[in-house]
Amino acid sequence: MGDFSDIIPKVIDATKEIFTGMVMMDVDQEGEPSNELGVIKDSITGMVGLAGTHKGMLAVHFPNELALAITTSFLGMDVNEINEDVQDAVGEIANMLGGNVKTLLTDRGYDIQLSLPSTISGEEYTFLADSDLQQIVIPFTAPAGNFYVELELEP
Amino acid sequence: MPPIERYITDATLEVFSTMIFIDINPGEPLKGQDDGIDSNLTSMIGLAGDLQGVLAVHCPEKAALGITGAMLGMEVTEIDDDVRDAIGEIANMVAGGLKVALAENDIAIELAIPTTVLGKAVRTSGQAGVSRFIVPFASPVGDFGIELKYVLH
Repeated sequence: MGDFSDIIPKVIDATKEIFTGMVMMDVDQEGEPSNELGVIKDSITGMVGLAGTHKGMLAVHFPNELALAITTSFLGMDVNEINEDVQDAVGEIANMLGGNVKTLLTDRGYDIQLSLPSTISGEEYTFLADSDLQQIVIPFTAPAGNFYVELELEP
Repeated sequence: MPPIERYITDATLEVFSTMIFIDINPGEPLKGQDDGIDSNLTSMIGLAGDLQGVLAVHCPEKAALGITGAMLGMEVTEIDDDVRDAIGEIANMVAGGLKVALAENDIAIELAIPTTVLGKAVRTSGQAGVSRFIVPFASPVGDFGIELKYVLH
């Protein structure tokens, strides 16, 4: 597949559009993309798998406070704890962004399908990425905290 | 409705008997909302197509180390890249077994890539309206579980 770093600007645009359009939040890239994330604390991650001619995974990692703010905005009512509504909202964001990445890759001629989204949450966890994969972590800032979009793709 | 729980159980038994050579014993599938497996390492792999889902291998540390050690033929004393790759490969192979079994029922799926998460007090969830079960396994190196969340299209 080659280097996919040229789709990073489009992933950034897609993230901003999803937040502006669906979550009513303005978000911005915060710093340069990296290829490592480290230990994640007091957070919830939404993830979706990419399957087909090129395999991969997209994850969005939110600190709890930001996940609550996002869900509150989605539902139009106050959410105070990480519950099923938050899991659904975070999973849905991963799903929407995954859909955008799928379109970007399909435009390049790849045949990609999305898996079911799922979420991981906890006090402390680490994603151990397979070193054979291309891994990109893009940091963002939102009004209620910073978050990361992580994309792993088979080269 | 194909016996998906049995496919998962059979695929796991197959992987362990042909590649890992540890005797494992499946229990009854757990389907309660709050059912889980005590674990701190989970390898997950997404499934796409006629069945859309996520397969996860949940291991407590001891089982992860023991299983990896059996796969590699050497003692493994800490969670490292070998453990990540070993448990990820189990997720990949069990998913592969499920893919073959589903194909025999004209249900076509594609696999994504395994992702391994290490953590304390980690909860995983699917979305609303999704079927879910966990097949628990007992083994000489500890208990572990294979979870499948899915939607059949």
